[in-house]
Amino acid sequence: MNSGVNGGDGCRGLSIFGDIDTLTVAAHELKSPLALIRQLTLELESSASNPDNQKIILEQIRLTSEKALRLTSNLTKAEQLQSSLFETSSLHPSAVCTEVFQEILPLYRANNRDICMSTKSRTQLVVANKDILRRVLLNFADNALHYSGDGGVVELFTQLIRKDGMVRFGVRDYGPALPASLWNDILTRPSSPQVVHDRPESSGLGLVIASRFAETIGGKIGAIRHRDGASFYVDMPISKQLVLL
Amino acid sequence: MKSKIVVVEDNTWQAAQYTRVLESNNYDVSIVYTAQAAIDVIDDVQPAAIVLDLLLPGATAMTLLNELQSHSDLATIPVVIATSSPESLSGATVSPYGVTAVLDKTTMHPNEILIAVRRATV
Repeated sequence: MNSGVNGGDGCRGLSIFGDIDTLTVAAHELKSPLALIRQLTLELESSASNPDNQKIILEQIRLTSEKALRLTSNLTKAEQLQSSLFETSSLHPSAVCTEVFQEILPLYRANNRDICMSTKSRTQLVVANKDILRRVLLNFADNALHYSGDGGVVELFTQLIRKDGMVRFGVRDYGPALPASLWNDILTRPSSPQVVHDRPESSGLGLVIASRFAETIGGKIGAIRHRDGASFYVDMPISKQLVLL
Repeated sequence: MKSKIVVVEDNTWQAAQYTRVLESNNYDVSIVYTAQAAIDVIDDVQPAAIVLDLLLPGATAMTLLNELQSHSDLATIPVVIATSSPESLSGATVSPYGVTAVLDKTTMHPNEILIAVRRATV
């Protein structure tokens, strides 16, 4: 099942916190990392943890707080979209993916997961704002991490969609499949995040944010439901500028 | 002989923390990350207690609790629920499933998992 997620013009310019449900969902999503950070800190305070464990716990605290900060930073950024102008430029898809890959890799390794890149070095340039595109992909990668099993692999990919004049940036996971009804809710109501119990950290809030970001820079997000997981992607328009190589 | 505990928790680091606390107090811990996988592990291990997260990928914790009740040898295993959303549960809802404690991850101390497991396995 391959579906575009239509953020709709109706939500452009509205506050992401325009309704209390969104605020509730945002609070819900932040509760889990904050609770973990608190518990790990309490464990560090106890004299029981040995030096090796302390090092591991400190890294987990740092990476968990960075993940939570990415969410809060994205929420803030999404709030400011209305008043901001985002400069776009011609970007090399492989370079953007490499940057995202390098940023997210430590989090994957610390979780005993792996992430790989499947991108072609010689592909069309895209028109996008690098920071916003990076945030969308990190959002997908954060989400995919949660749905890959111990030792699992997530794939960060690009794909030329020649007929649409787009390059697709996507993240493929191999997590549990969503029931069709919940999947439809996510695809058709990205402006209404909800707590999705089958994928507890997929409240749809990340998709709301990603959808807003993508619209702002001329892209469109979508998803493919696989029997053994899901791919979330953003399609970005190809640049007319020639690759100078 | 060590008492066996099965931890059903999808957050790897949260599960590891429970394990550190329980293993340092002479429990033998098996971790499982989904409710689907949990039933087989619980059947194999026959633990003295189960530590269960509420929100899991795939089948929910309630599905697992129902499944446990349908097996006569597993139905009596005490369950400790540890969740960030305890407000979504009422004691009346979970007590028929052998739940002996509901811990709030946002306020609990790491040692509370040990206290709850000890009480459940007495």
